[in-house]
Amino acid sequence: MRIFWSFARQAFQNTAIYRFDYWLQLVSVFLMMYSVHWIWTSLYSQHPAAFGVNVAQMVTYGILGMALEAIFNPGQGPQTYIATQLKSGGIDTDLAKPLDFHLHMLARNVGEILFRFGTLVLPSALIGGAFLGLQLPASPVAAGLFAVSLLLGYLALFALNFLLGMVAVITLDIRSISWAYSSLVRFFSGQMVPLWLFPGFLGALANVLPFRSIYAIPISIYIGKLNGSAALEALIFQSVWVVALFIVGRLAWSGVHTRLVVQGG
Amino acid sequence: MIHVDNLVKEYKRPVRKEGLFSGIRTLLSRDFAVKRAVDGISFHIEPGELVGYIGPNGAGKSTSIKMLTGILVPTSGRIEVNGLAPHKQRKEYTRQIGVVFGQKTQLWWDVPVIDSLRLLKDIYKVSDAEFKRNMELFSDLLDLHEFQHTPVRQLSLGQRMRADLAGALIHTPRILFLDEPTIGVDVVAKERLRNFIKEINRERKVTVLLTTHDMRDIEKLCTRMMIIDHGQMIYDGSVEQIREKYGRHRTLVVQFEREIPEFSAPNAECLKSVGGKLWFRFDRLATTPSELIAYISARYPIVDLAVEEPEIEDMVRTIYGGSEARGKEA
Repeated sequence: MRIFWSFARQAFQNTAIYRFDYWLQLVSVFLMMYSVHWIWTSLYSQHPAAFGVNVAQMVTYGILGMALEAIFNPGQGPQTYIATQLKSGGIDTDLAKPLDFHLHMLARNVGEILFRFGTLVLPSALIGGAFLGLQLPASPVAAGLFAVSLLLGYLALFALNFLLGMVAVITLDIRSISWAYSSLVRFFSGQMVPLWLFPGFLGALANVLPFRSIYAIPISIYIGKLNGSAALEALIFQSVWVVALFIVGRLAWSGVHTRLVVQGG
Repeated sequence: MIHVDNLVKEYKRPVRKEGLFSGIRTLLSRDFAVKRAVDGISFHIEPGELVGYIGPNGAGKSTSIKMLTGILVPTSGRIEVNGLAPHKQRKEYTRQIGVVFGQKTQLWWDVPVIDSLRLLKDIYKVSDAEFKRNMELFSDLLDLHEFQHTPVRQLSLGQRMRADLAGALIHTPRILFLDEPTIGVDVVAKERLRNFIKEINRERKVTVLLTTHDMRDIEKLCTRMMIIDHGQMIYDGSVEQIREKYGRHRTLVVQFEREIPEFSAPNAECLKSVGGKLWFRFDRLATTPSELIAYISARYPIVDLAVEEPEIEDMVRTIYGGSEARGKEA
């Protein structure tokens, strides 16, 4: 556990150096939150009853979707780290450490995510609450379940990202795959458009894929769209996927390690 | 301490297609070219040895080091270090070894050296007392205190290498692998790194295996040398033996009073002549310098003379050259 904390501290020091970068990110999150706020309020003014929840819930959904981007980013994570290290040959120094590779990558990423949660997600949620109509969780129970669901969502995303990193070990370059993957995750995780608005087949597909663990389930619990036994079922859905993806990740790593090519030097 | 038996590493590479849609066809094709980077190497290293591991670029040095450190998985063969198989028991194994790759750093680029070392302390679960003791040693021998609060990206290459050595030794490993630790470093900084490596080998009995392209590293540090080329071991023995085997030739440099034509002496050939100075190459088993000098001084008056010992570098070049020729025949 200590190692997770050490990596978090390191990530903090590492990122705190680039202050300009930080302010730029905060401003861009704010602009995105403002856009979704504006889109949903104008859509609701035309069709108040067409979207299955009330306007306050929907605006909260949209703003959370943007605020959580800082920690639920399918475009950056262990896979980008692994790809960079493979390209530079720096993966040597990672493997020369007495750490399980899978957990090592998790520790590094958790460090960064904790940092981003504290410095980006919380401030943008506060701004969203103060100016853009982000509401508090539907109930204290919903708040608790949301926290658990958020953690499970993070673990599911990490596991998926790690698997993409395993692809990088074989192909050595994942830029093009990465782009397709990001779009897929953003779409099926319900970051932009809630999954209950998806038409028949797409909705059914989104329901079985692991991606809805990432945005859709935690946010739906937060706004009270998912509650009671449905919320618990959703948490079970997330847990099953997390366990399955972690197992696959470990198997993939042991399979891929024998094929590892270290470039340079 | 280190046992390596018949170690082999093969890389598979997709064969590049040519012509239309070459990229996509390369991606889809199942044709692979197999390259044997390491081709059946065996050796043993005893505790406390300081071994130089050399070979031309692409000979398979780094690949073997990466297998020895558990980073790469061997295609076949056996490695056992301290009773452990590096890639199978990687977690347990890497706790006992220190590794420096001269071309890359294991330290965090943007933060001060000391922060990286503290994180390594946590990764290796080093106790506070041990950390303190090691940091004192590094301040003494590497002057680490001078730049420990500087971010790694602002360090000179020599300082960075010293910081990396400190990082590799923070958990007091028993074995140290150094892959080109002196690459790109200036002469003074090199000397300092060498002294440090020698010191920890002697005082702490750390077993060291180092690769380098600088033969002075070998001369100053190692008693034993392993030479690898085309993935095969072509020499394994003492540095002294190499001198005996490949260093039989000496060069006698003679300065004459005036310019004279080139001439050869018995058992010695004249290599070159510049302004009354002649270079004679001779086999020290076939003749002695005194015989040669007697012969030459009998013919022309000598002003000054010197006998040049062959540099290890020259001998190694001879050995590489020989293996190159064999490689082409095969």
